[in-house]
Amino acid sequence: MQFLYSGLTSGSIYGLVALGFNIIYNTTGIINFAQGEFVMFGGMLIYTFFTIFHVPFAIALPVTVLGSFIIGALFERIFVNFCKYKTEINLFTITLAASIILRDVAMHAWGRDSVKVDDYIPIANLKMPGGVISSQSVLIIIVSLLVAWGLNLFLKRSKYGKAMRACFDDQTAAETCGISVRNVRIIAFGVASFMAGVAGVLISPITFVTYDDGIMIGLKGFCAAILGGMGNFWAAVAGGLMLGIFESFSASIIPSGYKDAMAFFVILLILFVKPDGLFGKKRAHRV
Amino acid sequence: MLEVKSLSVSYGAVAALMNVSVHVAEGEFVSLIGSNGAGKTTLLNSIMNIIGHSKGTVTFKGKEITKLNTPKIVKGGMAIVPEGRRIFSNMTVKENLEMGGFTRPAHEVKEKLEQMYDMFPVLGERHDQTAGMLSGGEQQMLAIGRALMTSPKMLLMDEPSMGLAPLVIKEVYEKLKLLASTGLTILLVEQNATMALKYAQRGYVLENGRIILQGKASELLGDNEVKRAYLGKEYKEKWER
Repeated sequence: MQFLYSGLTSGSIYGLVALGFNIIYNTTGIINFAQGEFVMFGGMLIYTFFTIFHVPFAIALPVTVLGSFIIGALFERIFVNFCKYKTEINLFTITLAASIILRDVAMHAWGRDSVKVDDYIPIANLKMPGGVISSQSVLIIIVSLLVAWGLNLFLKRSKYGKAMRACFDDQTAAETCGISVRNVRIIAFGVASFMAGVAGVLISPITFVTYDDGIMIGLKGFCAAILGGMGNFWAAVAGGLMLGIFESFSASIIPSGYKDAMAFFVILLILFVKPDGLFGKKRAHRV
Repeated sequence: MLEVKSLSVSYGAVAALMNVSVHVAEGEFVSLIGSNGAGKTTLLNSIMNIIGHSKGTVTFKGKEITKLNTPKIVKGGMAIVPEGRRIFSNMTVKENLEMGGFTRPAHEVKEKLEQMYDMFPVLGERHDQTAGMLSGGEQQMLAIGRALMTSPKMLLMDEPSMGLAPLVIKEVYEKLKLLASTGLTILLVEQNATMALKYAQRGYVLENGRIILQGKASELLGDNEVKRAYLGKEYKEKWER
């Protein structure tokens, strides 16, 4: 049971990152390899405001997530927008390059050492059937689910959320409705970065933040997105949770040094056996 | 209302449209017919600036819109029902219509939704269904409804008869006639010459990227040159469906 709890904790984080991958993939058709860097920036921002400058958490948190949104939007403006031929392979390469740039920026700004963010809530261990779960873990799981649920509402109810889904279906048709695909793309990057920012804020008190944290968390989130199936938001959350649980259980059977490799083992397995992901449904296409 | 002046479009080295000039007066119903690959869709798409053009100008309501992007043109009062309908198949019927009203204020969208349901009762019945589940004819109605949600002054129609049964085609055209009678300006491109000319006031014939004929729709209907443009010979039955 203990493994389940720790798996759920890291799984919710993967889920959030996977959601970010999904949003950008759905609206632009590309995989944003800088997604992990967005997580790292979220952690670094909260570290700067909350731990260094001692800004009250109630202010530091909104500033951080808003900052994350702006970072995402700027990222689209600076890196994606200036790409002259927006083919998928070009954009992939650009996000990959951008992720390295962001990492270096973070290294210069915050240094090479891991930084520790103060805890947001008092640490306590709650007794659960078959093990204990820390209050931080509970916070992570609840907030992640809330954010995922909020995103779902945003996409289903709000005007811009629907416009994002329209762009996912058919960008040309969306333009003929008067929807500016450019604006939707900016919002998509902003929202994806926002989700990553939340993830970054949530994990940094537990895992510390280092400038190159983004690589691993980004790749794991990507695995989670593939595991669940691209194009389906709840699948991304489920994929994240399953990946987290799988990871922590695997640590109980095989040496924990292989833990990080498990995610990639999973992605290979999925790609071999069920390339659409576990819950990926084929999009309705008229032939 | 719409004036296209010597428009040229090419895909790489292939010229799709050469010096095409078309004009549509306010309240007019104009059909532009031509066989497969004549450049009909290219013309509409370049009017809407979905694809770029190399030469020529497009003027709409006295303003040049040649360089405007598609959403701006839509806001300016021109709507298109694209070829192959291109509805948002993973969204519900209602959401599709709402997307059409994206540029309009919320209360207007609400009002317009009711109008659309009145005009196309089947959309009202199925407003909660995923649009991809609709039949071809219903999807065409939805595509028209979505375009009308933008509150257009002028409607561009691309092959409304494509892939539909004759009875359904007739239904679609009756709706267009109704819309035209309310004062909506319509430019329709179509392979189905008889149908398109029967309902229109004026017509153009496009062949290999050039306008080869224009005139009153009723005159074009009997014109032998039209048949030749389509078939090279007088295969009457084949095109008179």
